[in-house]
Amino acid sequence: MNELDLTFIDKAVEKIGTGPEKVLAILQDIQEHFGYLPTETLERVCSLTEITPASIAGVSTFYNQFRHRPAGRHIIHICLGTACHVKGGNQIYDAFRRHLNISGEEDTDSKKLFTVEKIACLGCCTLAPAVKIGEITYGHLTPDAVPTVLSDFLRYEEAKASHLQKTYKPQAETTDTCGELRIGLGSCCVSRGSGKLHKALEQALSQTGIRAAVKRVGCVGMCYQTPLLEVVLPNNRSFLYARVKPEDARAIVLRHFKPKKITRKIRNTISTTLDKILTDQSWEPITRYSIDVRDKTVADFLNKQKHIVTEYCGFIDPVDLDEYVQNDGFNALQKCVKELSPEQIIDEIGRAGLRGRGGAGYPTHLKWSAVHNTKSEQKYVICNGDEGDPGAFMDRMLMESYPYRIIEGVAIAAYSVGANQGYFYIRAEYPLATKRMSEAISNCRKRGFLGDNIMGGGFSLHLEIAAGAGAFVCGEETALMASIEGRRGMPRLRPPYPAVSGLWDQPTLINNVETYAAVPWIMRNGSEAFAQLGTSNSKGTKVFALAGKVARGGLIEVPMGISIKEIIEDIGGGIAGGLRFKAVQVGGPSGGCVPVEMSHIPVDYETLKDVGAMMGSGGLVALDESDCMVDIARYFLEFTQNQSCGKCTFCRIGTRRMLDILERLCEGQGKKTDIQELEHLAKMVQQASLCGLGKTAPNPVLSTIRYFREEYWAHLNKRCPAGRCRALITYSITDDCIGCTLCAQHCPAGAIEMKPYQKHEIDTEKCIRCGTCKSVCQSDAVKVE
Amino acid sequence: MPKLTINKKKVQVDNGATILDAAGKLGIEIPTMCFLKGYKPSTSCMLCVVKVNNSDKLLPACGTIAQEGMKVETDSDEIRQARKTALELLLSDHAGDCIGPCQAACPAHMNIPLMIRQIADGKLRDAIVTVKKNIPLPAVLGRICPKPCEQTCRRAQFDKAVSICLLKRYVADVDLQSEKPYLPTRDKNRNKQVAVVGAGPAGLAAAYYLLTDGYSCTIFDDHENPGGMLRYGVSQDKLPTDVLDAEIELIKKLGMVFKGQIPIGYALKMEELRKDFDAVLIAIGQTKPEDVESMGLETSPNGIAINPRTYETNLPGVFAAGAAVRKSKLAVRALADGKEAAIAIGQFLSGQTMTGSPHVFNTRLGKLEDDEIERFVAYADKTERLTPSPEGAGFTDDQASAEADRCLHCDCRKPQNCKLRQYARQYGAKPGHYKGGRRSFFQHVQHTDIIYEPGKCISCGLCIQIAAEAGESLGLTFIGRGFDVRVAVPFHHSIAEGLRLAAKKCVEACPTGAIVFKTKN
Repeated sequence: MNELDLTFIDKAVEKIGTGPEKVLAILQDIQEHFGYLPTETLERVCSLTEITPASIAGVSTFYNQFRHRPAGRHIIHICLGTACHVKGGNQIYDAFRRHLNISGEEDTDSKKLFTVEKIACLGCCTLAPAVKIGEITYGHLTPDAVPTVLSDFLRYEEAKASHLQKTYKPQAETTDTCGELRIGLGSCCVSRGSGKLHKALEQALSQTGIRAAVKRVGCVGMCYQTPLLEVVLPNNRSFLYARVKPEDARAIVLRHFKPKKITRKIRNTISTTLDKILTDQSWEPITRYSIDVRDKTVADFLNKQKHIVTEYCGFIDPVDLDEYVQNDGFNALQKCVKELSPEQIIDEIGRAGLRGRGGAGYPTHLKWSAVHNTKSEQKYVICNGDEGDPGAFMDRMLMESYPYRIIEGVAIAAYSVGANQGYFYIRAEYPLATKRMSEAISNCRKRGFLGDNIMGGGFSLHLEIAAGAGAFVCGEETALMASIEGRRGMPRLRPPYPAVSGLWDQPTLINNVETYAAVPWIMRNGSEAFAQLGTSNSKGTKVFALAGKVARGGLIEVPMGISIKEIIEDIGGGIAGGLRFKAVQVGGPSGGCVPVEMSHIPVDYETLKDVGAMMGSGGLVALDESDCMVDIARYFLEFTQNQSCGKCTFCRIGTRRMLDILERLCEGQGKKTDIQELEHLAKMVQQASLCGLGKTAPNPVLSTIRYFREEYWAHLNKRCPAGRCRALITYSITDDCIGCTLCAQHCPAGAIEMKPYQKHEIDTEKCIRCGTCKSVCQSDAVKVE
Repeated sequence: MPKLTINKKKVQVDNGATILDAAGKLGIEIPTMCFLKGYKPSTSCMLCVVKVNNSDKLLPACGTIAQEGMKVETDSDEIRQARKTALELLLSDHAGDCIGPCQAACPAHMNIPLMIRQIADGKLRDAIVTVKKNIPLPAVLGRICPKPCEQTCRRAQFDKAVSICLLKRYVADVDLQSEKPYLPTRDKNRNKQVAVVGAGPAGLAAAYYLLTDGYSCTIFDDHENPGGMLRYGVSQDKLPTDVLDAEIELIKKLGMVFKGQIPIGYALKMEELRKDFDAVLIAIGQTKPEDVESMGLETSPNGIAINPRTYETNLPGVFAAGAAVRKSKLAVRALADGKEAAIAIGQFLSGQTMTGSPHVFNTRLGKLEDDEIERFVAYADKTERLTPSPEGAGFTDDQASAEADRCLHCDCRKPQNCKLRQYARQYGAKPGHYKGGRRSFFQHVQHTDIIYEPGKCISCGLCIQIAAEAGESLGLTFIGRGFDVRVAVPFHHSIAEGLRLAAKKCVEACPTGAIVFKTKN
């Protein structure tokens, strides 16, 4: 064994600090440096800081982010969020392990090149199934694409290493630009190549001498079309291009702008070629086309939406502070700190009827006034950005696209409750959101929107970022505060509520990202404008992450009260692939499934609760007839069971025993009493768990039993009606087989013998039920039953 | 100073007091495992759940602050059900045996591991007391028992079972040869007469325990001498008559009156027996349906029909036990029957509710994986099983002591004050209700005084708090999360390094047998 160089630890500690609350930040630095947490380094940390061995050992084993054994050079994070799950994430996981020859307890290949890790949710649900290798995200994977992905990644790494890519000088900022090229830079867009596209556009502009500005904008929400490029001409006419590739950049530029360096003739030729590319669908299986905003589908996607927290969506640069200010940014804060008393603001928020967007829907103004009314020298404000629900990515998008709006909301809240110090708690899986937020905080500080005596109003606020480390339970407010304090993220019993005794036992306001983001709009447009939207109990808008089996997934903001059906069918364009719409999973692991028969219900906190679902943080995953509801329940239970902190008996063991039963059912090993036992345990866990995680964990189970009991019965009889549960299905080839051999070529288990021009057969003994044959078959000759 | 009501009783407590404190003030008992006065409530085991203001949720009383006007309910079917479920969930993830597998397998439930420890310590008088608590004829059984205990002995998974039966015989033989063989102290005379019909193992055992409990006992048999099948059905080579006589003699010394050559049904009529005695036990061995019916008793496919818990027949005050009621011909089974029937008869005669012998609550570790058995025997004496020679001989003193050292002591070190066991019994929790993967067996024995078995831990974290409070430099911490969370010493250090100061206090606080003193008993 090589001696580890521990001087790195000394430097990290010097940089970060020695207080007990610094433990997470220090561990993150060590892991970044060594790839894992060698014990020697942890002991070193204890000797240099106030952090005790008990604390560092406890904390480092609590959070998923930390590894205690060496990893391969690159880590493959396989997303198992809801959308990825229903689109076969587990098969992708198996395929990577198979391809890299990783078996048993191991997670790293023999060459120590790749480590395969499951991840709860990458928050790129519209790319499902998705994996992240290093800094690259690959989406829409199939098991047989795994070798291609790995070689692509290695090529990319090689290219990066040799660094021969020519850098192109970006266009100088000029006032006489002849138009704008707006490009989405949310994580989804970036993972689908918007970064490369950005470079390619600048290259095209520089080569052609066209003076158009390339501008990055936040998420447009149309994730199903990424990367998205909007060309805005000086006359304000705009053209939207979807699924654009870097190689299209030059052609698109030339189509709209007059080049200075090449002849008109060449331009015309290119333009013609472009038309061909854009219309010739056989050229590549992925369709790329120019979208007209007036086009009906796009209009449907956008028209039913109402942009409040996503105001100026697709228009403003996420980190351009000037632009935010030009578009009324920080007006609300200014008005608040200079003209309004905290009581007046709290009343206004109360009249608006704003409720917590983190899930439970507690009236925001009540929380604020509770903190306001608690007397204390020191108060804190926290923005909860630990969006951990699989299938949800709203808060990521908001933080990536509208960091200033969130900061403004936090600042108004801090002023209202009398807090001068605040934290953004952002989950580890969101590096881009963390980067944008910290850039935005630092810009605000420089410009006097944060810091001492903000805008001359006498109010001071200091904001910091605290990074999570992979623990869903930290979304629970008392666990989140424990985490900021440098402890294991264990929830505690309330009361005392954070408003009375929160972070470091001081009064603390803690709200979700989306809640804060709605505040500036309310203060600018008045509570009435906000309260006009929605239902009697649920006002304003709600941002949803729409994913799963819909044709058009993405980030949407809709007025409360809109029906689920409108969201799925009008905005989402219904179910893709011609299958029947079965249910919508609302609210992730705390929520439930709303069956198609009930999809007319409005989006409203109480209504959703009544039907057994929950607003949750806003994940909407559409399910079709090929989705098994027992499997969905099992999936969510596996998630919550995995994420339980382990403190109370009902959650720690109760969810495990519920999962045991669901696993038995999916394996066809169910016992007669299982459904009854499941309901009993669900009720107990709901009734007597300590925190919200446990109390809501049974919801996915109870709601699926409530609406799909016959599917549970079918599993007792060893049958999976949706053809999803691997142990209960067999794959076979029908007479429609034309003998093309594609299935045999792609089968990773060697279960299909190659028989050109003859009907193929599947050896069910060897078959691993990965579904590859079905996905490659062009004659629809693979049957699952 | 909030005022609240608990089970409709009013109470006022200090600010910040919990519901548990308030209940304590009223003398209302709420069960707790993870709570210890003076420490921060863990709100972990959830056994103390109560209902507040009729909400549909249940709250842990140990951590819920009492508030003005609260209406608390601490005992209802709903609450008891939740507590039972909490216990069953904890038991489903509990890797440990309350009693040794040998004791669980022994029909008479003799505390074998205790007997073996007493042998190892040279305390043979204590050992015979332990044995006779459940087996009144140990020298006899030590020669003829087919040893179901040895079949489940965990040691057999490693090499060969501990020679339990011969150890028991050794204890009994030493006792019989002593100047004053052990006789239990009899309870004061209760002035009740019991007739036992049949002087085989069931009848003799019943007589032994009835006499010990202060009842008078007359035993009738159609043979000339007592012993039944032990005397007339076993060869002299296996069971010499003098051994049988010696042990029966001890029962006679306790006060047994034997009346031989009196066949039941002919010279002895059931009606007369019922008239002359306060209770009757039929222990006549294998019997025919017509004989049963002639006594006015109901039959079952196995012989005389009885209530299996209380050994009652259809006739009030008439009990039946042994081979007369079951197919098994095991002497040890008949002996156990006799003892259990004696307990039921005692309940009958003293006017108590007839519940039979108390149920022995037990969790089972079950079969061990190979790596687990390695860990299980890691610190045990690895000597091979001793076989005395010539065949049929018993152990010498040295042999017995050496063989006793082979015992793995699978039984829990805290069977009497384990809160999990105590409450599981109280709430009728079934250890096997939820089946699922259990924890692996581990034991940490590096400490001089204590043993830590993570499999028995309920993750209450009291020991972590105690270690931190004591100023341990390493101490203990939770490792991992969720279902896999475990208490351990940081950085894989040993339990000896983790608990230099606080070990004793941790043992006292641990609600289960997870942290225990090394010495048993």
